[in-house]
Amino acid sequence: MSTWLDLKDNPRLKGIYDTRLKIIKSIREFFWSQDFLETDTPIAARYPGQEPYLNPMRTQIHNPSGAAFDFFLHTSPEFAMKKLLAAGYKKIFQICHCFRDEEEFGGRHNPEFTMIEWYRAPGELLEIADDTENLFKYLGEKLGVKKINYKDFKIDISGEWDRKSMKEIWKIFINVNLDDYLEIEKIKILVKERGFAVCENDAYEDLFYKIFLNEIEPKLGLEKPIFIYDYPAQMCSLSRLCDNDKRYAERFELYFGGLELANAFGELTDAECQSRRLNEDKKLREKLGKQSYPVDKDFINALKSGVPAGENYSKKAAGIALGVDRVVLLFSGAKDINETIFQSAKDQTEFDE
Amino acid sequence: MSSTNEIRKGVVIRHQNDLFVVVEFQHINPGKGAAFVRTRMKSLAAGKVVEITYKVGESVDIVEVEFQTMQYLYKNGANYVFMNMNDYEQVEMNGDLIGDEAKYLKEGIEVIVGLFEEVPVSVQLPKKITYKVVEAPPAVKGDSASGNVTKEITLDNGLKIQAPIFIKEGEEILVNIETGEYSARA
Repeated sequence: MSTWLDLKDNPRLKGIYDTRLKIIKSIREFFWSQDFLETDTPIAARYPGQEPYLNPMRTQIHNPSGAAFDFFLHTSPEFAMKKLLAAGYKKIFQICHCFRDEEEFGGRHNPEFTMIEWYRAPGELLEIADDTENLFKYLGEKLGVKKINYKDFKIDISGEWDRKSMKEIWKIFINVNLDDYLEIEKIKILVKERGFAVCENDAYEDLFYKIFLNEIEPKLGLEKPIFIYDYPAQMCSLSRLCDNDKRYAERFELYFGGLELANAFGELTDAECQSRRLNEDKKLREKLGKQSYPVDKDFINALKSGVPAGENYSKKAAGIALGVDRVVLLFSGAKDINETIFQSAKDQTEFDE
Repeated sequence: MSSTNEIRKGVVIRHQNDLFVVVEFQHINPGKGAAFVRTRMKSLAAGKVVEITYKVGESVDIVEVEFQTMQYLYKNGANYVFMNMNDYEQVEMNGDLIGDEAKYLKEGIEVIVGLFEEVPVSVQLPKKITYKVVEAPPAVKGDSASGNVTKEITLDNGLKIQAPIFIKEGEEILVNIETGEYSARA
């Protein structure tokens, strides 16, 4: 809820919007001061990501003779930014609007939202975690906030943050050794034992999330923010597998008071493996009845040429996507995402009623 | 059994042999993997609130609840009295079950009451309600210069809220029930 009338007459909502503007300015200051370059890539993309459960918004662009071309409003600038890494850029960031269709209007989502992504090539996942922690501490200084009030929690961002592996977290909260449940048949039994429904077509990650979302996620990061790293390899997405244990993937998520803020990868830069995974995801999209479009071959070519580029070819690359609206929610004390966004989808559709 | 698509505020779900009324729900998408619906539900028996997360498409035991448009009449001790507009039957509902939103009730407004086996289990208020301002201190010169852009006003059901300083006694205003804040002049 934030229309021009609200900003005019409601000082609380005005305060939230002012905080938003300050946060966006401060994020830019932080990254420029760390020698990152701010990049600029198209929002309308011919070949968006293949994430099986995301819905990019389709649009058509016509040339002057009326020929139509299918484009999609991107769900993330990830492919385009990785192409820039292949072009030789080493430390880049971008703040942009992203679109995901069929998401909730309000609560923790808006179909159009603001994301910051940054990449290091060469770079390690741990450096990305350090960047994230430093960014929040910088924002805290700029806004005069040491503790974030979210729900009933006071989350201290000024001290050292928590970092735990997914395996450690399962041990701590539900006393289960995740190593024993990395196969679908085994986790299926665990899900049943813990009183959740198992459906015929549940994939590994569905079963994993039944336990994780119900029994673990709401307890994460209640006193200080926490990074959860090393996800089961089945949930690797665009990340590489861990060097020391191929059953897990180099991925972390950041949680504040049970709220997920960011998702980071030790980037998968093996072109062949990436191409295979994207084609598998494309097939799954088709099976699920989602819109189908070709895999971005230009992205695969970029990886083939080398990321990181040049003499750093053999080194790793890492990157992250962080939801800016959720950062504003935490720092401003807004009640939900709608209050952090000027003219959210909900505001605009309710105006029509 | 029903599907997670039918989960709405006010529906009643049987979970581990207890009945719960949904007070809040939210779709969540963990990125990879299917979407989930996280619900906050209040036990009809004990009043305690639990959070349960269902996978979208999972079957959920939603029990039949009849929704009726009713008029709010008055408060009777800890209970609130509503009248069915069709047959003028009256029902009473405990304030604990209505929760925080009870404070927005105002004589004569229409609400949607959920009835399970003829017992009221939920009340849905309109998104915005019109109230008459019964008390509003006059704006003082220099208010906005000193940063006082709102003031406390009292509405005709006794509710006190913050409103812009230009609001005067006797005016009608709209309150946004989701946030509990001033929305606009009616």
